[in-house]
Amino acid sequence: MNDDILTLYFYDDGLSAEERQDVARALQSDAELAERYRRLCDELSSLKAPEDEALPPDLAARFHDTIDRAANLERGREQAAPPRMHFWSFFWGAAVTAALAVGIGIGVWFGGDSTPSATQSTGLIAEASVSPDAFVRSVQVHFRDSRAELNQLSDISAADRMILVASLIEQNRLYARAAQQNDADDLARVLRAFEPILVQLAAEDIAPTDAEALRSQLAFELDVMLTKLSREPSDETDSI
Amino acid sequence: MKSSSPPSQADFHQAISSRGDRWFGACLRITHSRELAEDAVQDALLSAWQKRHQFQHGARLDTWIHRIAVNAALQLLRKRRPGVFEPLDFDIEDEEPELEDTRHAEELGADLVRALDKLSDIERVCFVLKHLEEWRLKEIAEETGSNVGTVKQALFRGVRKLRGSMPTLRSVTT
Repeated sequence: MNDDILTLYFYDDGLSAEERQDVARALQSDAELAERYRRLCDELSSLKAPEDEALPPDLAARFHDTIDRAANLERGREQAAPPRMHFWSFFWGAAVTAALAVGIGIGVWFGGDSTPSATQSTGLIAEASVSPDAFVRSVQVHFRDSRAELNQLSDISAADRMILVASLIEQNRLYARAAQQNDADDLARVLRAFEPILVQLAAEDIAPTDAEALRSQLAFELDVMLTKLSREPSDETDSI
Repeated sequence: MKSSSPPSQADFHQAISSRGDRWFGACLRITHSRELAEDAVQDALLSAWQKRHQFQHGARLDTWIHRIAVNAALQLLRKRRPGVFEPLDFDIEDEEPELEDTRHAEELGADLVRALDKLSDIERVCFVLKHLEEWRLKEIAEETGSNVGTVKQALFRGVRKLRGSMPTLRSVTT
């Protein structure tokens, strides 16, 4: 009897009841086999899960942020739900717009302690301090490409939308990592802040009105971010 | 947590604070990549948040998220390395460990994380899911899009390699 069978016996998985009985009988009658099994048990039992290191603070903050942004986004969507009564449509429209603006402005606010500006109050767009290098320009290209791809969303099937958004999420993550590596932490946070919206946008069961609302929000945020980045002094080298 | 309501934002924060390290550790052992492990936990959190109304009361939120995170890690690994869970055409069990590897293992003793370096992706994933996460072989096969036979073979190879590359363990037990 080889150690593979003994391994399955140890895990109590992958052997039929009859096979297990055979192993048990063999272990009782064969001292050498029993010794080999004891050694296997000792060794496998020694392989315990290591003590997990505490999460680095920035990573823990990222996970907490993920939940906060998802929750805030959801609140914004709930507040933006279309009214049920046509009679009140104008009133509700105005109220929902106001609520959404407040919800996004307050709820999704993040960033440091600098004085808020008009640009910052758009919600996802925080005070990303961008460094004057080629990386920032590549982020601009990424934002422009994302913006262009978002425009296609309303014209494609749900399956294609999911694929497109999944691709956007992946690209966004790559840029977020690159931002982190370029010491542009704020920019990395801005990039990550797009993710909860993209994930919701990729949902299979999203209502067309919700999808359009999210698409518009993203497009708006990307536009604001592009405007902000283009105002940076570093961007003057763009045309060179 | 109230029994009639889904887990709240505060519940999620509490779970992250108390168990985030374990989710991340499990995903790291599966993917062998910090980046993928970070993404897996983030994916799991977003997914769990969106599906929180499906959360079974009486279950533990952190355990539920742990499972989602492990699944997310498997998905990301498969996406990053297509074919990772396909059976190998050759059995690499007989490969002698490099001298450097052996010395490394001896120095580190029973450091399982380092010992897992010696395994291929499929061997590591099957071993971690079976031995550390305590999944059934059938579950592993389902979640990796593989079959039980392949999972068993990968597990056997993994166990043999780990035992073979941990001489300090042997000396303790013999």
